[in-house]
Amino acid sequence: MATVSTPIPPKTALGASGIGSMKTRRTVSDIITYVLLAFGALVVLIPLLWMISTSLKTESELFLLPVRLFPEVPQWNNYIDVWRIQPFTLFFLNTIFITLLAMGGEIMTCSLVAYGFARFRFPGRDALFMIMLGTMMLPGIVTLIPTFLIWRGFERIDTFTPLTVGALFAWGPAYIFLLRQFFLTIPREVEEAATIDGANTLQTFFRIMLPLVKPALLAIAVLSFSGNWNNFQGPLIYINTPAKYPVILALYSFSESLSKEAPKWHYMMAMTVIMSLPIIALYFAAQRYFIEGLTVGAVKG
Amino acid sequence: MLDFYAHTLADYAAVALGMAMAMLIIFQVLVRLGVKREAATGYALILPWLLGFIIWTAYPILASLYYSFTNYNVFQPPRWVGLDNYIRWLTNDRSFWPSLRLTLLYGLISLPIGLALSLGVAMLLARSVHGVGVWRTIYYLPAVIPAVATILLWRWLLGSEGLFNQIMSPVYRLIGMDKPSWFVDERYALPGLIIMSLWGVFGANTVILLAGLKNIPVHLYEAVELDGGGAWAKFRHVTLPMVSPTLFYTLVLGVIAAVKTFEPGIFIKLNSLSTGTFLQVLVYGNAFAGGNSRMGYASALGWIMLVIIMVLTLLVFRSSALWVYYEGERK
Repeated sequence: MATVSTPIPPKTALGASGIGSMKTRRTVSDIITYVLLAFGALVVLIPLLWMISTSLKTESELFLLPVRLFPEVPQWNNYIDVWRIQPFTLFFLNTIFITLLAMGGEIMTCSLVAYGFARFRFPGRDALFMIMLGTMMLPGIVTLIPTFLIWRGFERIDTFTPLTVGALFAWGPAYIFLLRQFFLTIPREVEEAATIDGANTLQTFFRIMLPLVKPALLAIAVLSFSGNWNNFQGPLIYINTPAKYPVILALYSFSESLSKEAPKWHYMMAMTVIMSLPIIALYFAAQRYFIEGLTVGAVKG
Repeated sequence: MLDFYAHTLADYAAVALGMAMAMLIIFQVLVRLGVKREAATGYALILPWLLGFIIWTAYPILASLYYSFTNYNVFQPPRWVGLDNYIRWLTNDRSFWPSLRLTLLYGLISLPIGLALSLGVAMLLARSVHGVGVWRTIYYLPAVIPAVATILLWRWLLGSEGLFNQIMSPVYRLIGMDKPSWFVDERYALPGLIIMSLWGVFGANTVILLAGLKNIPVHLYEAVELDGGGAWAKFRHVTLPMVSPTLFYTLVLGVIAAVKTFEPGIFIKLNSLSTGTFLQVLVYGNAFAGGNSRMGYASALGWIMLVIIMVLTLLVFRSSALWVYYEGERK
């Protein structure tokens, strides 16, 4: 699994055989392709549009028939109302605080560990690396209860500590794997030159190696950011006090009211939009790194 | 008021500092003991993972195995009860079997459909279409959105008066069927969950499979053409075998993810006695929700899930000899 495949020749597009006599068949199949792609895009986009449009409707418009994609008058103040129902500023601060600490810890320790696995020979290294990859398959559920009991033993229930400090133990075998792949591509001469110039291991690591694997670091940063931002089970188990809720728990507690009479779906959808927007913005800003992180295990692995 | 931030920062700084110290000490001790500097550096660098593995993986696995043989409610020390927890899930817990059925059916149905859809879309995108980037951006969007947001959105879309039923109402009329109330009517709960999961994950698998397809050398297709093979021959003899390692990867991850499904079962209230709920929700419910926590029984359920995942993964790995084509030897 841990081998890097050889570089692929650039001319690889599927079906791009470019034989002129098949031109008309090609046009027909092109049209079918675009129709299918457009249909798929609609299937993806309509629910998202519906989420946004619901968030801008009045309560009486929610169940109006026939269905209307756009509200009569966009109710932008739904978003202000939502902010009044629950202290979202605080929830956002909590989420950002947890996410940044956990992300920082993961990036720091995973890159050190990946460097260790990639560059230094020591007895048992390959066995340990395989064990690490094996933990990727482990369902978190078998470790959940004892982990909870450990934090309970340290009296850290209802604090952010379980959600952040664990990250300092190189959470994320996938991140380590990805970074190791990148470290392996750097020629050893780079470090040897640094050593001759008198740099020690840590200086080499921070000043030379880390900048060279910047794309991998960014890929991990976006994955880790969204992973922690979207983490639901952790806060659900560890956080009890509403003032300490991250945004996701605020959504959860509001969603409990939806089973009752007069469900306020316009508010629910506004909250959903609020929670998703930062991640979507990050996705548009750093799409390359999302895809890099997603595909490296599959194709290089 | 925000002193809980300060407490967390203090914990975080203490552990980070402790970790750095431990790494330095390990290095020094190993060098003193005569270990080569290179090896000592390696051990020091992987220390965070090694400690994490021992504290947060190895110990918890063994501990939960032990708890699974005890009666443990957190307030009193665990009491050994032997196989009681495992026998109880066979006999007493009426939500176990429906939940096992729901979790397995959910995976068995949504995975193949999802992968077939993803492969189809990926093949469309691989046909050198215009604006691959734009299509890919759109298709991948649902995978970026927080899972919880997806679930809430689909709970709204699949309401009995929701948008999905409105759009589908001509179809319902055509086949003479009543509007399903998806998550309320237990017959439609599973289909509803599957529709939701298909929307949520197929984009991510599409992007992965697209990367796999792009790696197929074009000369293989040219060879099929020279032999007079058509589109089906290309798919059957080039695309499928060449993309099979990537399919295998997505299948393994998909099996694990399906058994571990949690959020849909929390945000959508399912009747655990008839429809069943996801196994992980049962674990959570027994361990953390409600007044008396049954940590022992929940641990046993967790171990049953671990065994299920191991058996399924093993089956997928075993079957891979039949259908996964590795070109690795070409190196």
